Amino acid sequence: MQYLSGIDDHRTSTGLDNRKMLMWAFLGSDVMFFGTLIGTHLIYRNRNLSGPQEEILSIPITTISTFVLLMSSLAMVLALAGIQRGNMGQFRFWTAIVCIFGSIFIGFQMFEFTEFAVHYGLTPRTNLFGSTFLVMTGFHGTHVAVGILWLWSILFASYKGKIHQGNSLQVEIAGLYWHFVDIVWIVIFGVVYLIGAYGAEGRALEEVPHAARAVGIG
Amino acid sequence: MTTEHAHVEEHNHPGPRQYVIIGAILAIITLIEFGVFYLSIDPALMTWIILLLSSSKFLLVVGYFMHLKFDDVRFSGLFFAPFLIMVSIAVVLMALFFNLTR
Repeated sequence: MQYLSGIDDHRTSTGLDNRKMLMWAFLGSDVMFFGTLIGTHLIYRNRNLSGPQEEILSIPITTISTFVLLMSSLAMVLALAGIQRGNMGQFRFWTAIVCIFGSIFIGFQMFEFTEFAVHYGLTPRTNLFGSTFLVMTGFHGTHVAVGILWLWSILFASYKGKIHQGNSLQVEIAGLYWHFVDIVWIVIFGVVYLIGAYGAEGRALEEVPHAARAVGIG
Repeated sequence: MTTEHAHVEEHNHPGPRQYVIIGAILAIITLIEFGVFYLSIDPALMTWIILLLSSSKFLLVVGYFMHLKFDDVRFSGLFFAPFLIMVSIAVVLMALFFNLTR
C-alpha cells in the first residue's frame, strides 16, 4: 500500500487542486446543459396553439423564492468562512440554514407546479410552454435537491469529525455547486419569468389566433 | 490539500462582512427587478434593464461568492469558455428563430 501514501495530496503539476478543477469543469459542462434548456424554452416561446403560457407565472411568489435562494447562497459563503477560520459552530449553523432555505425554495417550486397543474391544467404534455418550462425548472429543482442532500451529508460528517478546518476544501466544492444552482436561477428568473411574463396577458390574447393562422387552422 | 495550503487560499477571499454587503446588494437588485416589472415601459427597454440587472447579480455571485475574482484565472477559463460557447449558440439561435422583446 506504499503507492497510496500520497493520495491525500491533490495538488497537480498545474499547482491547482484537481478536485476543484474537476468541479469547475463540471460546472462548465452544466452551463451548456442549462443553456440548452433555457435556449429551447426561449425559441419555442409564443408558439403555443392552445393552453396557458407565461401569463400564469406569479412574479411576486417567484421573487420571494428567488430572494430565499440568494440568501441561501449568502449563508453558504458564511458557512465556508466559518470552517476556514476553524469556527465549527458557525459552519454548522449556516450550513443548516442553507439546507432549510433550499428546502423552502423546493417548496415554492412544488407549490407552483401544483398550481399550474390543478388550476390551469398545465403539464409537460399540454403545450410547448408546459414541456420546455417544466423540464427546465424541473431540472433546476433536481439540482437544488441534490445540493441539499450533499450539504446535509457534509453537516452530518462534520459531527463525526470527518469535515474540519483541514479539509474545508470539501465544503468549498459543495459551495461552488450551490452557488452555481443560484446563478442558473438568476438567469431563469430574469429571462424566463420577468422578461417572459412582461405584458404576457395582453400578448396571449393576440398570439393564439395569430399562431393558428400561421399554421392554417385559424 | 493541507491545512497550510487552505489557509493561503483563504487569505485571498473576502470576509463575512463583505459577504453580507454583497448579499444585501443582491437583495436590492432583486427588489429593483421586481419593481421594474410593474412599470409600464417599452418591452425592449424592459428587456435590456432586466438583462443588465440579472448580469450584475450573476457576476457578483460568480466573482465574490464563488471567488473567481480572487482565485486562479484558470478556474475562470474553465467556467467562462463553455459559458461563452453557450451564449454564442443561444444568441445565434435566437437571432434565427426568436424575438426576445416580442
